Amino acid sequence: MATDTQNVLYGLYDDEQELIKAVKEAREADLDIMDVYTPFPVHGLDPVLGLSESRLHQAGFVYGALGTMTAFGVMTWVFTRDWPIIFGGKPYFSAPSFIPITFELTVLFASIGMVVTFYIINGLGPGVTNKYIDPRVTDDKFCIAFDVSDSSDDEQNNLKSFFSNSGASEVNLKTL
Amino acid sequence: MAGFGGLLVAIAFLTAGDDAFAWNRVWTNILHNSVFFLGISFLSMFFYAAFTIAYAGWFVVFKRVMEALTAFIPIGGAFIIIVAVGAALGWNDIYYWMTEGLTDPAAENFDKIINSKKGFLNIPYFLASTIGFVVVWTFFANKFRSVSKSEDTATPGSIETYTKLKKWTAAFLPIGASTSAFAIWYWIMSIEPHWYSTMFAWYATGSLMSCAIAVVMLSLYYLQSRGYYEEVLLTHYHDLGKFLFAFSIFWTYLWFSQYMLIWYANIGEETIHFQNQLKDFPILFYGMLILNFALPLIILMRNTNKYRKGSIIFMCIIILFGHWLDFFLMIKQGVYYELGHAAHAAEGGGHHELGFMYGYNLPGLIEIGIMIGFLGLFIYSFFNALGKANLIPNNDPYLEESLHHQGGPLGPELDVHH
Repeated sequence: MATDTQNVLYGLYDDEQELIKAVKEAREADLDIMDVYTPFPVHGLDPVLGLSESRLHQAGFVYGALGTMTAFGVMTWVFTRDWPIIFGGKPYFSAPSFIPITFELTVLFASIGMVVTFYIINGLGPGVTNKYIDPRVTDDKFCIAFDVSDSSDDEQNNLKSFFSNSGASEVNLKTL
Repeated sequence: MAGFGGLLVAIAFLTAGDDAFAWNRVWTNILHNSVFFLGISFLSMFFYAAFTIAYAGWFVVFKRVMEALTAFIPIGGAFIIIVAVGAALGWNDIYYWMTEGLTDPAAENFDKIINSKKGFLNIPYFLASTIGFVVVWTFFANKFRSVSKSEDTATPGSIETYTKLKKWTAAFLPIGASTSAFAIWYWIMSIEPHWYSTMFAWYATGSLMSCAIAVVMLSLYYLQSRGYYEEVLLTHYHDLGKFLFAFSIFWTYLWFSQYMLIWYANIGEETIHFQNQLKDFPILFYGMLILNFALPLIILMRNTNKYRKGSIIFMCIIILFGHWLDFFLMIKQGVYYELGHAAHAAEGGGHHELGFMYGYNLPGLIEIGIMIGFLGLFIYSFFNALGKANLIPNNDPYLEESLHHQGGPLGPELDVHH
């Protein structure tokens, strides 16, 4: 996004199957889709759009491993070095009793880390005002959007004819 | 294979000699393998009933495989009944609590703990339950198969047989759930009558759940390699793979919970079970955790590995072997110590180490041979039952859904039809 404002040409579809078909056609015609908006996750849309697998779960693994090491490390340090206490006749370093808390902290680190990462990557979060294309994509419409800020009239007409051929119920131009 | 196994059993009995350890080694192997394979059949039936009652449609395309797996229940059950009757008649010493005098306050070997459990641990109840459970399970297995088979000749579009099947599965679930817990307490947990664990039934179930899923996946891969079940999609394998992963973790959760609670509570009669495992069975104790937890965790965690043929076949075999070892340890440990105590008592007391014994601390050739024999019987009963009905239930109301099963996201490079 080189400029602050963008001109977006978008078409609305009534049905997710029509949307997937239209996305396929657009990709075959080498049209540069800016984004697709749907009211719910559509099965099979990611491979059609050519999106690669999300790497969020890899980040999740790293956070989880961090949680494991934090919990196990801190407990080991506390119970063997910092403040050794005998519980129930067990040795200072009693790994089995550390496992439940290690598990909890792994889950906690992984989940919170993934949520925060997701928010940062997507520019979401408290106090952020997001631009939206059309409020109806949160209800019952499926939208394909093209960035036409730098497009010529010919290119825009080409996109419009693509929308009418692929069965879009509505085509609009909007400045974000 | 079954014949080979039978031959090995015969050789094993003939060469066993007078030694109580050698003699009981063969008996415990029969108990071990019949419980293990019967458990796989039972859990397959349990999954079948649970899926049916939950309106699941995805498994319908291969539901005949799960039905055919239940055909081993009467066979495995017959072997367990032989072992149980043999134990009651004194042919083997698997169950220490059957020894005379333990519940007689006047006797020299009176055992206060076992005496307090005699309401549960007594021979009439034991035999009645063993025979009763096997009969009831066999009845339900046959019922499921016959009702499901009648679906093939029903009017297309009719859901009459389906509703009937639903009623039978609904009746089975509570009965199966409660009887299986009693069965596993009687058959395995009572081998160590002083020890008890309230998690034991769940723990054994978790073990067999992973095995049942592994067997279903292996059967499907085999049948597909022979040109059957072309309709089974990658999404089916993916979902089964998720089950395989989930139940491996579930087993670990139960294993650890059982271990940790007993370790932490520090009650002598319970802790000794794990103390002995660590002392005399270290290879099985740690090896099992690697096979049943570490490998599934590492290999099956990745999304695409859950339906890659190579990884899944490798993992299924590892899991089956790992849980076979799990049951081996559950059974052999108790027999090993009870026989050891008996031997010491006969020698006039004193303490000495039992040491390493093939067939107790580690499976030897006889164990593997008898396992192969039972595997042969299991495979035979499976294919025999599978051949008696259509592979695909043509009139099942959920068949269409199953043929177009959409699971979670597969890897982007793969089509569902492989």
